[in-house]
Amino acid sequence: MSTSKYKANSILGAGLGLRSSHYQEVFNTKPDVPWFELLSDNYMAEGGLPLVRAEKIREDYPITLHGVGMSLGSADPLDMDYLGRLKTLIKRLEPTYVSDHLAWVSISGKHTHDLLPFPYTDFTVKHISERINQVQDFLGQEILVENPSSYLDFHSTEMTEWEFIQGIAKSTDCNLLMDINNIYVSAVNHDFDPYEYLQAIPADRVKEIHLAGYEKMDNYLFDTHGYQVHPPVWELYKAALNRFGATPTLIEWDTDIPDFPTLRAEALKAEKLIQEVA
Amino acid sequence: MPFNQVQSLSDLKKLQETFYDAIFDPSSNNIKQASTYIIGTEKISEAQRLSIYRDSILGGITAALTHIYPVCVKLLGEKYFTHMVAGYLKKFPSESPDIGNYGEHLPAYIAEFKPAKELVYLSDVAQLEWLWHKAFNAPSDLSSSPEQKPLSELQNISEQNLPLVKFCSVSSANLLTSLYPIQRIWQVNQHDFQGDHSVSLDEGGVSLVIWRCADFGMRIDELNEDETKFLSAVLNCASFGQIAEIDFNQGLDEIVQRCIQTGLVIGFTTG
Ligand SMILES: [Fe+2]
Repeated sequence: MSTSKYKANSILGAGLGLRSSHYQEVFNTKPDVPWFELLSDNYMAEGGLPLVRAEKIREDYPITLHGVGMSLGSADPLDMDYLGRLKTLIKRLEPTYVSDHLAWVSISGKHTHDLLPFPYTDFTVKHISERINQVQDFLGQEILVENPSSYLDFHSTEMTEWEFIQGIAKSTDCNLLMDINNIYVSAVNHDFDPYEYLQAIPADRVKEIHLAGYEKMDNYLFDTHGYQVHPPVWELYKAALNRFGATPTLIEWDTDIPDFPTLRAEALKAEKLIQEVA
Repeated sequence: MPFNQVQSLSDLKKLQETFYDAIFDPSSNNIKQASTYIIGTEKISEAQRLSIYRDSILGGITAALTHIYPVCVKLLGEKYFTHMVAGYLKKFPSESPDIGNYGEHLPAYIAEFKPAKELVYLSDVAQLEWLWHKAFNAPSDLSSSPEQKPLSELQNISEQNLPLVKFCSVSSANLLTSLYPIQRIWQVNQHDFQGDHSVSLDEGGVSLVIWRCADFGMRIDELNEDETKFLSAVLNCASFGQIAEIDFNQGLDEIVQRCIQTGLVIGFTTG
């Protein structure tokens, strides 16, 4: 058995994404939040204030680490320096889960810092599966991969997103972070049935769920992470809980971040629904 | 259409490079190239779909730079700042997965940015904000090198070895010298600043050290000429022997004492 520096190491119920504007409130009031998700990319420097704060939060709460920097979908080789720093961070903070996205972020060494889509083909299933395996071997642990929302389809795509995820699940032993808001956003943008998507996901692999608020644009939905969770996403979430069971769920809120009580109220709505299937 | 197939690594690379170019250099040719991969619909064309991503990417990076350079945003206005960032991105791609590492060359870019020509001090203010950002994220000094000895051991160094001593400053410290009163400009543009917002350029230049002290307080301290010379030598790893040759106005002892008292000099190495 490996020994842990920290007391709390498993996550349950509805957690919150930790944002810098809330540190002080969390330190001062120690709110009754079951777990926090930290954006790993904000803590990759060798030291500094953010890392000290993260360690302080970790003393009181279990955490997950969520990143955008792996660029799993890129044609570039994996960035081993980035993964090395992630591994150091994992050792320091002992997260319950480590996750990143089914997307590409960088090409030819140039970074966009955003989650970009790629075509779903036999080749990309193989390519990304190999990279996930490589990452897991290097980190010495399983990772969770998340479905991003998307705004375009490629001519070269050969399968649906859920078939792509099935392919990844077959050729790796990684777990899944299903973002229910992203499924809904992509379903509207690409005109597919989000419930059919949910039904196709291997339930035993789903270890975490994300919820967020999209923004309704003129003729598409945009994944802003700047609103409360919308009613159709709550509906889809209920279906997800029925299918995946009582899965740890995170409310993501990244723009126009509200005060801490508003954020918590949103998490409590999810908590109630989790209790119903527990 | 073999061009559109993605069945190999080189296909994927080509698609991603084409996409990248259309985002950061949206010439009509680059957009046309990228569009050949994308399914357009009646509702949203190929080019519109690309611009959703362009807006998202530029928005994200601009937000990150706004966080690092809030005073520049205030002085330049959000619109011009956003416009400047788009040009900056084209010239300086982000080379690190850590967005916090992006923006180092913005002060130099601002110096050449024509619409901001009249704000002669802006590039130096930007440099001040970058050094603040760097100090905030600098590694903590607890993890500094094992050769570094505490200042209390200085008394054990023999007179003949004293010239070999190299002082160590806090790892977050950086010096900045400007012809303009940039510290005051920076100060009056902080969101919580109360008082007189006017700064006259006649107030003259400053020498500053930007650093983070042991209890995580961020500091911008003004230095006199001697302190600037001394700290600049320390940061360049000069030995005490070399520093003793520098022409100071005050006595060197006094300067060293002051820098130790403020907490800027925290240890030393020998040899
Ligand atoms: Fe998400």
